[in-house]
Amino acid sequence: MKKPFIHALILCFTLMTVLSACSSGNSSKTITFWTPLTGEDGAFMDQLVKNYNATNPEIKVKHVVTADMYTKISTVLSTGKDIPDLAIIHADRVPGFVKQGKLEAMTGIMAAQPELKEENYLPQAWNTGNIDGVQYTVPLDIHSNAMYVNKDLLAKYGVEHWLDDNNVTVDEMLELQGKMEEGQYVVNDALIGWVMLAQIQNLGGDIQVDGKPAVDSDVFRQAYTSVKKIADAGLMTPFGEDGFLMFQSGNVLFSTDGTWSSTAHAAVEGLNLGVTNIYSVSPDKFTNRSSSHLFAMFENEKRADEKEAGIGQFLEFIRQNSMEWAKAGQIVASKQVIESPEYKNYMQSFFTSNDVQTQSLYIYTYEHYPYIQEAVDTYTADLIRGNIDLDETLATMQKFVEDKIAENESSGAK
Amino acid sequence: MKKAITPYLFVGPHLILFIVFILLPTIYGIYASFTQWNLMNDPQWVGLANYKTILFDTESTFHTQFLNGLKNTLLFVLLSVPLLIVLPLMAAVALQHKYVRAKGLMQSILYVPGLISISAAALIWLLIFNKQLGVTNNIFGSEAAWQATQPYAWIIIIVMTIWGGLGGNLIIYRASLAGVARDLYEAAEIDGAGSYRKFFSITLPSINFPLIYTFVMTTAGAFNVFGQPLMMTDGGPRQSTHVLMMYIRSLAFGHGESIAGMASAMAVLLGIVILIISALQYYVMNRSAR
Repeated sequence: MKKPFIHALILCFTLMTVLSACSSGNSSKTITFWTPLTGEDGAFMDQLVKNYNATNPEIKVKHVVTADMYTKISTVLSTGKDIPDLAIIHADRVPGFVKQGKLEAMTGIMAAQPELKEENYLPQAWNTGNIDGVQYTVPLDIHSNAMYVNKDLLAKYGVEHWLDDNNVTVDEMLELQGKMEEGQYVVNDALIGWVMLAQIQNLGGDIQVDGKPAVDSDVFRQAYTSVKKIADAGLMTPFGEDGFLMFQSGNVLFSTDGTWSSTAHAAVEGLNLGVTNIYSVSPDKFTNRSSSHLFAMFENEKRADEKEAGIGQFLEFIRQNSMEWAKAGQIVASKQVIESPEYKNYMQSFFTSNDVQTQSLYIYTYEHYPYIQEAVDTYTADLIRGNIDLDETLATMQKFVEDKIAENESSGAK
Repeated sequence: MKKAITPYLFVGPHLILFIVFILLPTIYGIYASFTQWNLMNDPQWVGLANYKTILFDTESTFHTQFLNGLKNTLLFVLLSVPLLIVLPLMAAVALQHKYVRAKGLMQSILYVPGLISISAAALIWLLIFNKQLGVTNNIFGSEAAWQATQPYAWIIIIVMTIWGGLGGNLIIYRASLAGVARDLYEAAEIDGAGSYRKFFSITLPSINFPLIYTFVMTTAGAFNVFGQPLMMTDGGPRQSTHVLMMYIRSLAFGHGESIAGMASAMAVLLGIVILIISALQYYVMNRSAR
């Protein structure tokens, strides 16, 4: 009888140990730094943190790649336990977190580190963290929609001149209607939702009017109608096919994916690769829909002043030493980095090569932008293939966004 | 004293895990379904408002999502469950045959896919059905864009589900078949019974309880389908494979601020559907088995 009792006690003890291990407290000697960088970019951030820790700072940084980070952030914010000292969040999350009063202003950190200021960063990346004159974030990068070019294919079809003004228009693309070899296409449909949101800017419109979402609008209608022409003309990779792969296998002139894909495309043997802006429905304007990774501190009374000082030092280190981040294909936000000659070796330097290019990087900062992006992502592929009615779907998308806003406006009161 | 405590200590770990990870979250989830909640602020009590919207407000996006999600989930259940019962049963009966060699190996081959994560399995199957690289299109000459057209989108989801789910039920059937007395078959053979007669009159009635168990559990599991349509088709084309769990997840943990109250209400409704169907299945099968 003694043995089972002891076994049972051991079992219970083990379970208690396992359960208690589920929660790990924040040490005062490390800055806990959460990021949602679950892809290859997580390794580049690891290296950056390692480089910083090698400088022997008083408080070291512990990088924690956190899958499903926003869900976990919600959990720790509601319990008030294990809130990370520092985190990377996306630009479109800032207005929501600020509205909820969950972000701490960077004011103190900026006072301690005077070089952490607007002039030293790409303006869009900096401003996306500024709400009502208060700076809540310090930017790491801009990651943008980009249009990769198969230069050999462009030459084959004699349309290299399309790149002269770095604005490939829908009308130009339509010139190749009926002229493509079987199995070859002008453009794929990768990140097509981002492409559509760029067209809204190209047409001089916006996704909101007076703070209300404006999806069921003429500008959206015009954008979809124009892009649909490419698919109708048989110039877009067929619905449901792997357009990314088709580009890499040399059968598509343009691929509309992200700056971070440059390394993957560059690794393809025999692909004569170039990069330009996302195609435009307007000959006068081009836009590359972008987002930004931003350093932010969530509200946490327990965060000591020494830690804030350590965070400031870390952010200043990143500002000066984030060339490593360019390897991940991202447009580094620090001007010191992007103005250095070494940065020119990276393909994404194209997007900051002059003022016009820099201005083409557009980050939506509308409070309810994530819902609009979700609606656009859900319906765009079917809309541009004509699988669903445009007017009806735009009304559905508008309702989709409005219903979600209505729900969280009543639950989001502070 | 020790005698009195020991059983509780053995049951304790499971009880603690059950309370912490199942009972409390379930109770809180039911409570959340009566609130509007963005996961960060305190939930605001709204009574039955979420249920009213989901069930009766035909104009609401949430009503449309719930109906579409439930329809697609039911379709998945109807397509997958019979196959997940019949195919493992056939495989188990086939493996019982005296001329079949390497039974353990065959069983392992059928069981291993169930151990592979859905994401990894989806990558394999997506490559198999890839129009440029895939076996289906290059060797078998199919012209279909599998993910983007129906009924192919459902076919690839079901194929992957069967591939991954066959082994679990197979093991249960194999174990139950091993327990069926051989002399019953011998007696039937003497009476001149053929293979079909033996299967329907001896095998099936003998493994009645495992059959009920697998039927109920497979159905409940199929209602909770999430990974396969998410990875294989992302709910497309035209949201025709967008199952309820995908809507629930995207409402609670998707883009922007969470709409967790509404998501919880949908989850509770799904739970009720599963409960009713499982109870019905159990009742009907148990009664006909008597």
